[in-house]
Amino acid sequence: MNDIAPKNAAPILEIENLSISFFARAFEIPAVMDFSCTVMPGEAMGIVGESGCGKSTVALGIMRDLSNIGKIVGGRIKFQGRDMGDMSDAELRSLRGSKIAMIYQEPMASLNPAMKVGKQLMEVPLIHEKVSKAEAHQRSVEMLKAVRLPDPERMMRSYPHQLSGGQQQRIVIAMALLSKPALLLLDEPTTALDVTVEAGIVDLVKDLSRRYGTSMIFVSHNLGLILETCDRITVMYSGEAVETGAVRDVFDRMRHPYTQGLFRSIPLPGADKNKRPLIAIPGQLPLPHERPKGCNFGPRCHHFVKGLCDAAEIPMIPVSGHDNHFSRCVRFNEIDWSATPPGAKTQAEPVKPGAPVLQVADLRKYYRVAANEVFGGGEGRVVKANESISFEARESETVAIVGESGCGKSTLAKVLLGLETASAGSVKLGNKEIQSTGVEMRDVQTVASIQMVFQNPFDTLNPSHTVGSQIIRTLEKFKVGKNAEERRQKMLALLDLVKLPRAFETRKPRQLSGGQKQRIGVARAFAGNAKVVVADEPVSALDVSVQAAVTELLMDIQRKNKTTMLFISHDLSVVRYIADRVIVMYLGYIVEQGTTDQIFAPPYHPYTEALLSAIPIADTSVVKKHIVLEGEIPSAMNPPTGCPFQTRCRYKHLVPDSLCEKEVPPSRDLGQGHRSLCWLSDDVLAKMEPVITVT
Amino acid sequence: MESVGSFGIIVGIAARFWPVWIALALLLAGVVRYKRKLGLLGHLFDSLIGIGGVLICAFWLFTAIFAHWIAPLDPRVQVSVMKNALPGAIDPETGMVFLLGGDQLARDVFSRVIYGARIVLTIAPAATLIALLVGITLGLPAGYFGRGVDHVLSFLANLVLAFPVILLFYLLVTPGIMETAIPYVMAGVLFLFPIIFFCTLFYTRYKERPEKLYIYLAVTLVVGFWIYAGLVFNADPLGIISIEPNELNIFVAVVFASSPGVFRIVRGLAMDIKTRDYVSAAQTRGEHPWYIMLWEMLPNARGPLIVDTCLRIGYTTILLGTLGFFGLGMGPESPDWGTAIKDGSQVAQLRLYFWEGLTPALALMSLVLGLNLLADSMREQSLKD
Repeated sequence: MNDIAPKNAAPILEIENLSISFFARAFEIPAVMDFSCTVMPGEAMGIVGESGCGKSTVALGIMRDLSNIGKIVGGRIKFQGRDMGDMSDAELRSLRGSKIAMIYQEPMASLNPAMKVGKQLMEVPLIHEKVSKAEAHQRSVEMLKAVRLPDPERMMRSYPHQLSGGQQQRIVIAMALLSKPALLLLDEPTTALDVTVEAGIVDLVKDLSRRYGTSMIFVSHNLGLILETCDRITVMYSGEAVETGAVRDVFDRMRHPYTQGLFRSIPLPGADKNKRPLIAIPGQLPLPHERPKGCNFGPRCHHFVKGLCDAAEIPMIPVSGHDNHFSRCVRFNEIDWSATPPGAKTQAEPVKPGAPVLQVADLRKYYRVAANEVFGGGEGRVVKANESISFEARESETVAIVGESGCGKSTLAKVLLGLETASAGSVKLGNKEIQSTGVEMRDVQTVASIQMVFQNPFDTLNPSHTVGSQIIRTLEKFKVGKNAEERRQKMLALLDLVKLPRAFETRKPRQLSGGQKQRIGVARAFAGNAKVVVADEPVSALDVSVQAAVTELLMDIQRKNKTTMLFISHDLSVVRYIADRVIVMYLGYIVEQGTTDQIFAPPYHPYTEALLSAIPIADTSVVKKHIVLEGEIPSAMNPPTGCPFQTRCRYKHLVPDSLCEKEVPPSRDLGQGHRSLCWLSDDVLAKMEPVITVT
Repeated sequence: MESVGSFGIIVGIAARFWPVWIALALLLAGVVRYKRKLGLLGHLFDSLIGIGGVLICAFWLFTAIFAHWIAPLDPRVQVSVMKNALPGAIDPETGMVFLLGGDQLARDVFSRVIYGARIVLTIAPAATLIALLVGITLGLPAGYFGRGVDHVLSFLANLVLAFPVILLFYLLVTPGIMETAIPYVMAGVLFLFPIIFFCTLFYTRYKERPEKLYIYLAVTLVVGFWIYAGLVFNADPLGIISIEPNELNIFVAVVFASSPGVFRIVRGLAMDIKTRDYVSAAQTRGEHPWYIMLWEMLPNARGPLIVDTCLRIGYTTILLGTLGFFGLGMGPESPDWGTAIKDGSQVAQLRLYFWEGLTPALALMSLVLGLNLLADSMREQSLKD
């Protein structure tokens, strides 16, 4: 993308020493300090960082949309050579949405639910270019075609809620591009979407920016996405840019300890839970008013030197040998970048799985949805949330359940935990059948031995009770300990187990960070010596550096207690790292299951292949096969006939007699417990190439 | 007739309120001293609206408490020479000043307004509180279980809401109906809810710890049925709690009319909170539904409920005023503000003796204003958290 811009072209956007503060009551909270960057025409700049680092504030600052409490307190933003600080409100208004456009995280929040899509799209050229209605309509339809939406005329007549999340985001992108902006700001545009849908959007954005020559600022927490979409990258930490440079330079030869910490805490293809565990960044992001003097990362840095790193504010220092590569670290020339930090675990003994603990055989869960609540009667439809699920999980084994939203993985978890009862089939915990006993009917022992870690750290603890009382209540419920004092001791021991200070006993959940809350969630799940722990995306809502710490903690406890873990996730890189066996689900079916090695190597199920190709990997040495799935995940209310995946499968034409559309394929054994739900013949499967190759 | 003049009136009224001023000063001093430890009350003092709300409400609360010290005369005493006396007039016999004049039955308007506060500030909060407990006890299961339970309860709530309130009150205080058992049956049912609520509350929490459970249950049952006996059967063995039959009618009517409103709010909140992970977490460890409703969900609904209760006390105050104005429920001699406004408005020449109706009207308005300000600033605070 870079080669479009001539070498001596004027930059689209120049940000010089930008500082933004928020003013709340009497306090000034600095959100961004001394931020500089330059974006050339046609260039894509990625801004990465964890939550609270100020990356979105930079984007909003460029839009000059800081609400009434945010203020630019220093520095300048020049757009196409003009200082935006000198522009009048009217000028800024005409700039926004025409020259600079922004795409937000939540597509539904960016669209007006009361207006038809077509009307919203047409507004852009009508307002900014004062064209005729017919012309605006024409342009909107063309743009909908450009963002690869099927049947644009029908889309124009739909309301936003009638479209899926991926389609809505495409509409938002179309709206942003309608005015042919010079600069496009994307603030986590795919975070709310499923991975295969995300891959489609990323592909689209790349293609469109190449076609229209638009410059982009791509704000994300996902390093893999940045690698796929951007030319240059700026890493932010605690309100400051800590490192900036060309994507390949920063990825291959990072020169700031924080950047390295980030890379070490994400599961890249080389990581292995036994041989090369993840290394989390110790400590926590400092609060804005408690930032240390000198290097903000100092307190968490392995290379911190007193008197040098905390002496004075550190400027951006150029890195020799690279073009435009800067780092905010005074010691980057002295650091041994290949050494592992002291105290980090380097190896762990692989665990031997024991006897089967959980056996699921031909489990089905159907929901009856009445067409009309009051007068429904016979018209009810059946939603098949789970269809013939069979698998088993052994002691101290981690079984990952992978799938996108609506694949039935949460329903499966609910049935296992007894929040729902199965429609057919059996679930055996130990040697007890539990599929039709709801949680209230289960005895204490059964309830305590299958527990759950929830996804959303901000929701998993009751905000009204103290941390200690919530754990004690769980102990009470599981009849652990004879009296109140014994339970309290056990609770303190649990806090130790999840590596939290004992003082947290009296804290309320709102005083804890996301990672700490999730640790409490883990402590609660293991309180009654659970045999099986269902972890529903336990780290997906956490920041990268915290993710690694919580993942390691979960595995440590699991190792110690010989617990069986069912790890529900949509993120195949985490799954490859953590799981012993993998189950891939699609629309209620298990489409493929086997050991982690079997799943990640060919032959694949076509859906697994697409999923693998969709995950962004933050490693420049990885070459991926490019597979983008067409269409959307079908609704479970109206599933396709035959194979559940046939509507999006790219191998469908290789199966004779359109068998895929007629019959559900059998679950075939491909050897050593590797099962796949597919009609494809053995010779087609044998010809499949690996999706991910490390060069 | 001699008079103390407008300056004398102001100084006189300010002086009569001395217990209130002392109490307010103590309250303010306490708040300033312990602001950070007081939580919500401390935060209310961050904005002018909050300060205004707290001060007005506290003013009327203290007035009600110290009414017997503030009011110079019993509200029923008639001093015949003072009939329709001007504000500030001096009683020639005793030399006592009728600070806000006399009404057409020659009673001291000032004393009546002060004692009126006592009636309003007992019935309105108490009725609202019971309505709140009824609404919570029915709204939580409706929102949590949904389906059949919700359909039945929501239908009943809609029935009550669809019935014209004033007509309901007319019916309830009609002598024919008053003589039947209907008001007592209603009181018997509605006042049972608080007892059920607290028993369930303690039972679900301390089931595993019987030593605590028995104490709490015993206290709840004894106190609950003592008040219950006093209110419903007027048979308090200690003779402390008693209520006039017509006041009981009003009380029951107000509770009955405002519980469906609380029910709807609680039901909505419960439906929202039900989807949170901590509710699922409680379910997965096998908690009883009532434990989840009362201990996991209810505390997290407290913000909107506190705001709503505050506003609802205001509505109830107005409702009581309306009932008094129509002469429903309260005795003809009662000093409550609604009756006083009615009496004041029926004077032959309203323009000449305007203070008789205006004073209680102002009192009522200021109390409701204070409650609304309080609710407003609490809403602000709950949005911030």
